[in-house]
Amino acid sequence: MEQNTTELFEEFKELTASEFFRRNKQMLGFSGKIRSLTIVFHELITNSLDAAEEAGILPEISIELKRLGKDHYLLKHADNGPGIPENFITKVYCQMFAGSKFRNIQSRGQQGLGCSGCVLLSQMTTGQPVTIRSRYKENNEYKGVEMKVKLDVKKNTGIILERKEIETDRTGSGIEIEFKEVSYSLSEQGAYEYIRRTVIGNPHARIIFKDPAGKKYTFERATDKIPPLPKEVLPHPKGVTADDIIHLCKTTPKKRFKNLLMDSLSRVSQAKIKEVQEATNIDMNKRPKSITWQEAEAVVKQFDLMKFMAPPTSGLKPIGSDQIEKGINEILLPEFSTAITRKPKAYRGGVSFIIEAGIAYGGKSGRSIGIQKKAEIMRFANRVPLTFDQGSCAITEALKSIDWKRYGIRDLDNAPITVFVNIISTNVPYLSTGKQSVAPEEEIVQEIRQATMKIARRLEKYIRVKKAAKNEAMRSKIFEDLVPVVITQSALLAEKDVPEYDKIMDKVTHKAKIMDMQQRLKQPEIEPMQIKTEEPKMRIKTEEED
Amino acid sequence: MMSRKEYALQQLKGLGNDVLGQLVKEEVPNIKVPSRGTGNIIFNEDKRYYELGERYGTRSLGNVKQIKKMAQMMYVANFCKNLVNIQKTATMREMYYVSEGWDVSFDNQQESNNLSEDIEVTLGISREDLGLMPEEDGASVYGDITLKDDDVEINAMKAGKSGYTISPTIDEVEIVDHNVKRVIAVETMGMYHRMVQEKAYNRFDTLIVGLKGQAARATRRFIKRANTELNLPVYICNDGDPWGFHIAMVIISGSAKLAHVNHDLATPDAKFLGVTASDIVNYDLPTDKLKDIDVSRLKELAADPRYNGTQWQTEIKKMLKIGKKAEQQAFSKYGLEYVVDTYLPAKLAEIENQEIE
Repeated sequence: MEQNTTELFEEFKELTASEFFRRNKQMLGFSGKIRSLTIVFHELITNSLDAAEEAGILPEISIELKRLGKDHYLLKHADNGPGIPENFITKVYCQMFAGSKFRNIQSRGQQGLGCSGCVLLSQMTTGQPVTIRSRYKENNEYKGVEMKVKLDVKKNTGIILERKEIETDRTGSGIEIEFKEVSYSLSEQGAYEYIRRTVIGNPHARIIFKDPAGKKYTFERATDKIPPLPKEVLPHPKGVTADDIIHLCKTTPKKRFKNLLMDSLSRVSQAKIKEVQEATNIDMNKRPKSITWQEAEAVVKQFDLMKFMAPPTSGLKPIGSDQIEKGINEILLPEFSTAITRKPKAYRGGVSFIIEAGIAYGGKSGRSIGIQKKAEIMRFANRVPLTFDQGSCAITEALKSIDWKRYGIRDLDNAPITVFVNIISTNVPYLSTGKQSVAPEEEIVQEIRQATMKIARRLEKYIRVKKAAKNEAMRSKIFEDLVPVVITQSALLAEKDVPEYDKIMDKVTHKAKIMDMQQRLKQPEIEPMQIKTEEPKMRIKTEEED
Repeated sequence: MMSRKEYALQQLKGLGNDVLGQLVKEEVPNIKVPSRGTGNIIFNEDKRYYELGERYGTRSLGNVKQIKKMAQMMYVANFCKNLVNIQKTATMREMYYVSEGWDVSFDNQQESNNLSEDIEVTLGISREDLGLMPEEDGASVYGDITLKDDDVEINAMKAGKSGYTISPTIDEVEIVDHNVKRVIAVETMGMYHRMVQEKAYNRFDTLIVGLKGQAARATRRFIKRANTELNLPVYICNDGDPWGFHIAMVIISGSAKLAHVNHDLATPDAKFLGVTASDIVNYDLPTDKLKDIDVSRLKELAADPRYNGTQWQTEIKKMLKIGKKAEQQAFSKYGLEYVVDTYLPAKLAEIENQEIE
């Protein structure tokens, strides 16, 4: 039976962002039971960290996960961040793309999908509203509000079902949210591991986690230093697209195209403007609003041909090698650890990035599979752990391409080693919307290799000295056993008393050399992090009274 | 003159003092052990036997491989010192088992045997003087000689048909008296008994020594003593093949392996009587064809400095030329008595340039 065209198009409606993501939740990373829950943790933790740091507060996050049934959980999250003013609460939790803007800044966060994405998932799987508590400061006064909200998918807004004020003497925000079709796992991709890695990448954060079995883990912070805030930097001409230029042109108050380019992009000077004009014949004094797509394309094409100074890097704030080492040491208690923060580099000619790498060897480093230790790669982008899509990631590719035998690791896969790599950038080139793997840009892969090989050399030296020290110790043992034998037997033969022989013993056992080696192998004292765990209290079941 | 026992004790004590002395000077003690490698075994043309050259190796307390040997050496030295003091002997095998109780043990008996030789060369004393004895007894001796072993006097003509058996402790044995003019050593016990039955000891005024193949250290020591202490000429009569030649040569010029004690073992004046290649031809003896291994062994001997003498070179060349070898017993072709009645008198007369009987 044939249908009229108009009938066919009756179904064709405009989708809101919420509706779009309802239909395509995998684009938010929600695919698979384990992965969905990890992404929820990721969104909530990331938001808490960003908010606290922006407000200059040392972050403290608590998450409690309760199992309500099969693949059915209640999650309670709370932080000590600045809180959310009441009239922004539904924007943050119920609206897709709220407040998203064109900012060229290093940030953990997403496109403004994070929290509302979680609420969307909850609503889709349980139909239940979520409870949000926010405590914030307004006019030097603490205010607190608790509300039950639902998401109106069709309109991409929130609906407040209940609201009450709460008394408070601090700031912070929190959410109680239910999920079905998710599952809690202790695997490498699970929520627990996500928290552990977050602590390594963010040694200034304190995280308390209560797992579904009622076990409470407290990850204390390794440092009280709040990382400096990243600064927004102007985009570099090599990194912009025609669409970016059109967007700038439409939103700018500037009167002339050339002023727009010079003020909105970095490293664009009068001379460069002149060069562009000569090459493209576009009037640089035109009003930005009159710039056509073709003209924007021509400008971008010309930018590609020109030489610019490398992009400014002042906006990038790495973790720092000391902090990485602290993070690694406290969690992995390795026998050897080292870390490096490299100088900024640029990929695609215009996007700056910094690579940080760390290696932990021995101790709790590596993944435990039965009694065997396997190598573990911890990937981070702007301090955020990347847990999925490892195979296609630039970090994995770079690490696998290194000849680890040269660094004393005979078989990387089966070594007790954890390799940590963090890429810091205003614009991390993710491979997909799930943001779980970094595109293998040539410059990035190369830089990860360089950084890792540099610290791997330190590891190689450690392993070499350790091996030598072990040999020396074995050698020394032989002398400690046999020197007294030779000397007492000699004395017996000569019919004399056994003489003093401490000095000769020190000489032949290479005591000085061994002491020196031990000195060189000495690692800084590690204060192990007390991941305080508390078992659930036994509850005595009582018969209900009539 | 110092007795062998006193000398051994003095040398052993000296080894301990050497180590302690270096220790007191805060030097890392080491012991110099003369090298027993082939490069350091030199044929002394004047003395006509093998001896060790000047080269030595060092056993240092500061070397991880050498310290174990040094410890073993000291233990063995003390073990020997004790043996010498209480005047007992032990076999190498016994010492190997005793060493199980030491703070440093041996991996196998070869290791402990090598170490005993190290001590022999280091101290310049044979292991018999250190109380260490080989397993096997020496040869049989028949003839008019009287020996005193501890309190027992033995005459080698009154000890049965098999004669006196040379003890491994032959240096402890005193030669009391004798009534012979020469010594004839033979390779096989078959020939030994033939000579005893035919009363060769009377007819040639000789001691008969049955070597039983390659002569044991004690046998060589006995022959050396008979030659030097009693001034008796020594003759050796073996099979007419390269192996028989070499059994004789080891008695005459010593073996390379024992170069460090050859001054006590070699009897350079001993003479090879036969069977020579010329005997094979002259007496028309029943023969076997030389095997490949015989040929190559003969060629080796020809190149050996101990066989430099023209007579040896001639005989070796002759045997290679005829391509034949013969056993001692081959003379039986002419009757059992022939070897004693005809062959030996003729050969002895030839060598001593006089009629013997």
